[in-house]
Amino acid sequence: MRIEKHPILDFGRKKKVSFSYDGNPLEAFEGETIGSALHAAGIKELSHSLRFKRPRGFFCGIGKCSSCAMRVNGVPNVRTCIVNATEGMVVERQDGMGELPDAEFGDARYEILETGIAVVGGGPAGISAAIEAARQGAKVALIDENTMLGGQLIKQTHRFFGSKEHSAGIRGIKIAGEMFGELRAFEAKGLVQILSGATATGYYKDKRRRKEHLLGISKGNDFYELNADRVIIATGANENMLQFPNNDLPGVYGAGGVQTLMNVYGIRPGNRVLMVGAGNVGVIVSYQLLQAGIDVAAVVEAAPRIGAYHVHAAKLRRFGVPILTGHTVKKANGKGHVTGATLVKLDDNWKQVEGTETEVGCDTICLAVGLTPSCELLFQCGAKMKYYSEACGYVPLHDDEMMTTIPGVYVAGDASGIEEASTAIMEGRIAGLAAAKGLAEGRGGAIDNRIASIKEQLAMLREGPFGFHAACGKGKILNDMQSERGCASNDSCDPVPEFTHSRPQTYLFADSTQSKALRTRTAHEQKFAYPADRNTGGRA
Amino acid sequence: MQLPEKAEVVIIGGGVNGAGLAYSLANRGLSDVVILEKNYLTCGATGRCGAGIRQQWSTEANTRMAIESVKMFEGLSEELGHDIGLRQGGYLIIGHSDADAAQFKKNVAMQKSLGLGVSYLDPSEINGIVPILDAEGMGATCATWCPTDGHADPFHTTFAYAKAAERLGARIYRRTTVTGIDAPDGAVSKVRTDRGDIKARWVVNAAGCNSAEIAAMAGIDIPIKPYPKEIFATERLKPLFKPMVISFHDGIYFSQQEHGQVVGGISDPEAKPQWRAMPSLRFLKRMASTLTRYVPDFRHLKVLRQWTGFYDVTPDAQPILGEDEDVSGFMQCNGFSGHGFMISPSVTKALSEYILDGRASTLDMKALSKKRFVGELDREASVVG
Repeated sequence: MRIEKHPILDFGRKKKVSFSYDGNPLEAFEGETIGSALHAAGIKELSHSLRFKRPRGFFCGIGKCSSCAMRVNGVPNVRTCIVNATEGMVVERQDGMGELPDAEFGDARYEILETGIAVVGGGPAGISAAIEAARQGAKVALIDENTMLGGQLIKQTHRFFGSKEHSAGIRGIKIAGEMFGELRAFEAKGLVQILSGATATGYYKDKRRRKEHLLGISKGNDFYELNADRVIIATGANENMLQFPNNDLPGVYGAGGVQTLMNVYGIRPGNRVLMVGAGNVGVIVSYQLLQAGIDVAAVVEAAPRIGAYHVHAAKLRRFGVPILTGHTVKKANGKGHVTGATLVKLDDNWKQVEGTETEVGCDTICLAVGLTPSCELLFQCGAKMKYYSEACGYVPLHDDEMMTTIPGVYVAGDASGIEEASTAIMEGRIAGLAAAKGLAEGRGGAIDNRIASIKEQLAMLREGPFGFHAACGKGKILNDMQSERGCASNDSCDPVPEFTHSRPQTYLFADSTQSKALRTRTAHEQKFAYPADRNTGGRA
Repeated sequence: MQLPEKAEVVIIGGGVNGAGLAYSLANRGLSDVVILEKNYLTCGATGRCGAGIRQQWSTEANTRMAIESVKMFEGLSEELGHDIGLRQGGYLIIGHSDADAAQFKKNVAMQKSLGLGVSYLDPSEINGIVPILDAEGMGATCATWCPTDGHADPFHTTFAYAKAAERLGARIYRRTTVTGIDAPDGAVSKVRTDRGDIKARWVVNAAGCNSAEIAAMAGIDIPIKPYPKEIFATERLKPLFKPMVISFHDGIYFSQQEHGQVVGGISDPEAKPQWRAMPSLRFLKRMASTLTRYVPDFRHLKVLRQWTGFYDVTPDAQPILGEDEDVSGFMQCNGFSGHGFMISPSVTKALSEYILDGRASTLDMKALSKKRFVGELDREASVVG
């Protein structure tokens, strides 16, 4: 299942490691996650659902959906998509719920750390924030759940749009490479501490904390108390699920999951793909699939028109890939694995038209049906949250320097409203600069000037056709933030529900409680018939 | 939805006791009952509780109430036509000293005299009940074991009561905040809300931690303070043990739920009454270190989430129940101090008897009136969390 030749990417495969899966020896390349290595070996069934014992496979690829939970070295419920395969590792499929670990509990550290700015999330927004803050002389700790930094940016093989200042014409992976270089330089100087493979488990207000903000950080068996003067939350987004029978079959992937397999690890998700969603993500990923030598059966789009940039759609057309607007997936077909899909036409009210069903043969269904901001930590820390359709979900109110209603807690990137990688970079820079104020010595005026110039660039970027909705949303958020600040003295004394979700486990499938919320949202979206370019235009 | 102009009984609070009382009244024919809930059903202590149901108490009154409640819980799913998720996996109470041993022997003798199937255990017998416990690590000197204790689902129990009550004619108004209570001449007459007023013959104060505030609206002072309490839930594992394990000495309780998570809490000796509380790292550390001392194998377990709720605590950790002595028609149903869920069946039955028959045949509510706080108190010793 490995891609040997790629027109853009060199996967830099070097050393091999051996591990075992259910007693059988397998090989992975160093730096590859367990889930990817299994996929490369053709193993697509990774777990079974707890209630109905349905087979589940690789879906999100970034530790959010938990459908890849397996037993690793005797420890159950390991999200194998974000843990690297290592020499001698013992991987087993777990049958439903895990067994109590029989492994020895290794050395566990408990450490108290202090930093100037804690940045949660190492995607384009988080890295940009860390770089800008460090450039001002602030001390930064960058926390990311994946073993590899870069979020979704390291999967973007296409060239960016926009003007020159916005890295237009440059591939996402190249931008990521440049950012890593800068980040590593600050790491070498001791200004940036990088914690990858680490999860921010909660925001705490314990009396004994050493600084204004305290985060719990879990990394393997270790736990850190991270004390910080400021916090920037750049946790990105979750991929949306689409409701149709058999949507949980192995072979149904999120578009991000497909990009992770294909563009990071050089692994074919399948041989023939049905793409769902003709927004920028769906269309661009379809083209990337073609580049990797994978057949794209069709692109289906529920909206009456294509949401993506036409230049991208035109490329697909040239390859003879049909783009079926006004269509959706009625069901996925297959036993244990996707072997095809039934498509159906939608009428003007987004209702399925009986008798219009057609069958498509494919072994992969890729869902590019939009994103939802990942806001668990923002909810939990008590920031005021509100639903904005333009932001694609609940996001924290924030000002034009990205500060939430909690003083010293900032947000940036998709967690503040779904947009693009280039806007996430700008927002990250602003948040990093704003957070560095008061921490970096004697350069306050320079910081304000730089923020002003980035704000201008950001405004220009949002003037484009895909920025319009986001700009409207940001305007509303800003207004609400201003009125919130106006009535801040009007504090109610009712106890509010406070929950800490120490590991964001998002069960996406039919027999989960989460799916209800998703279903409701989908129905809501269908009711209001949002234009496709807004909710599917994730990352151009 | 328009509020009615008047109702025979207005219950303030949509937790398990408010919903249970509405059902008990309606089931006996008094259907002119209204529940006013300022947020959503179970949004207070009910929806955040540890869900345990225990009959092993140190006072006779509490033990009777708990035994009666378990009998009722056993038939509740069928009676209400909705599964309340009752699972009787037993309660194993760990003792840590000679004093505990003496108290436990006394408790068991009293509990047995009331007909409860309960036994006193030596440390060597603990692993016969829960094999994964480390008796030495816990510092156990003794234990008591009652196999008919257990837990139920607080959400399903409340929803089951509420649905059954509505079927019988009771009405529930969510997102409705009580703003005042009229009680001229020492008797309740009207409840004021942000959505209009309701004349009422009876007003029931089942508002959990807000009960002191509600009582004050009728000019009544009750000593209830909110204590934040935290719980965590771990990842799911295959069934390992069925009982709830608790220790009054360490303040810990934990059990494995049907869906596989280990759910538990621990008390904090430094906790002070307060309204605002966030989940704390301090709790996470205390809970994790104590739990792994009890069950060393749990060191691998990942915590999935933690949350905070509030106990409505009285000076003697016993509820305030019954008609107020100063304002007639004002019923107290609060101050449960962390045990409101497990005794809700017998409490709501007794209160409904009082309203319908003028007296409660199943419970002596005089001992639970607010007047007791004037003299010396007999504090319940078996409190956890």
